[in-house]
Amino acid sequence: MKTLFQATLKIASVLMLLVAGAAVTAKAQSAKLQLDQLDYLANKASETVDVKLDERMMQTTAKFLSSSDPDDAEIKELIKGVKGIYVKSFTFEKEGEYSHAEVESIMSQLRSSAWNKIIGVTSKKEGENVDVYLMTVGDQIGGLAVLSVEPKELTVVNIVGPINLEKLSKLEGQFGVPVLNLPPAKPKESK
Amino acid sequence: MKERFAIIALTFAALLGAPLWRGHASDDFSAVVKVIEQFYHVKHQNLPLLARAGIKVTKTAARIRGGEARRLAEAGSARVAFFEDQEFNSRGRIAGFKAQINGTLVGWSPLIQTLAARDEEQTYIYVRDAGEKFHVLVITIERHEATVVQATVAPGVLAALMKDPNEMGRALTSDATINDN
Repeated sequence: MKTLFQATLKIASVLMLLVAGAAVTAKAQSAKLQLDQLDYLANKASETVDVKLDERMMQTTAKFLSSSDPDDAEIKELIKGVKGIYVKSFTFEKEGEYSHAEVESIMSQLRSSAWNKIIGVTSKKEGENVDVYLMTVGDQIGGLAVLSVEPKELTVVNIVGPINLEKLSKLEGQFGVPVLNLPPAKPKESK
Repeated sequence: MKERFAIIALTFAALLGAPLWRGHASDDFSAVVKVIEQFYHVKHQNLPLLARAGIKVTKTAARIRGGEARRLAEAGSARVAFFEDQEFNSRGRIAGFKAQINGTLVGWSPLIQTLAARDEEQTYIYVRDAGEKFHVLVITIERHEATVVQATVAPGVLAALMKDPNEMGRALTSDATINDN
């Protein structure tokens, strides 16, 4: 009887772990923003860049980067655990080619409780807004999002997985991540 | 009886499945070429003979690695379709073309897509598992010409492609379409 109880307890523990694991995975997955609604902007944009590096591709890359090459080794470390890099960037010839609705379609996703704005840069003169959001899952970082809104440019960078600003700055110019020139992060701000 | 039935079933499955499988592997390239032809009302030229004769099959990795000659693709595995001296004009529907290409290449991972609607310039890079290696499909379109290249690359080259997808995609197309014999 004791053995049966112990076995049941073991199974229950495993099930609970699986459920907890699934919940964490689900949360981690939600760090991936829905960006496809922006695609039609390509019709109006003078330049469009769309980067999609999913988990499988990231893992493949990490696997085949040479550990003996210092540059490769650094990148390997950098992308360790990263589950995806997604970038959409639209450059327009004139102002007003995209609307508030497009920006709102991204902002609405970033208003969920898991996302926290860690950097917000506003330039009234240039009309530029750059916001950086971090998603935390428990005490771990689940993902990062950068939303850059300029009169003639709209850029969204979404990195899924453990990433911080230091890593992000090192990824700039690689894996399709644009150079963002972000200022250093301030202590945690309210959203 | 059961054994006989199993053999018949297996034979039937093999007959039915083999061409389908082979078709799937090769058809994506043709399907993409067809999408370009139908969308832009253009006609392609194949380069099978040139490819078999050893059309420049890439030394891009050598450039990246600093000189060591290394081939991106196995000789004969590159497929190229050319569109030359034709008009590519999406008439404000470039996003629709992108969606059609994405819809055609189901099962491929789109790495990077760059579009410039005014100049009709587009680059699409897709990757798919091919056992120990990878298939890479690169589509480049300009106002008056386009190229579709499918090549098999080693994993190390894929890693280089991932690090700088745009540059490597350009290099792949260039290497697969310039004869260095």
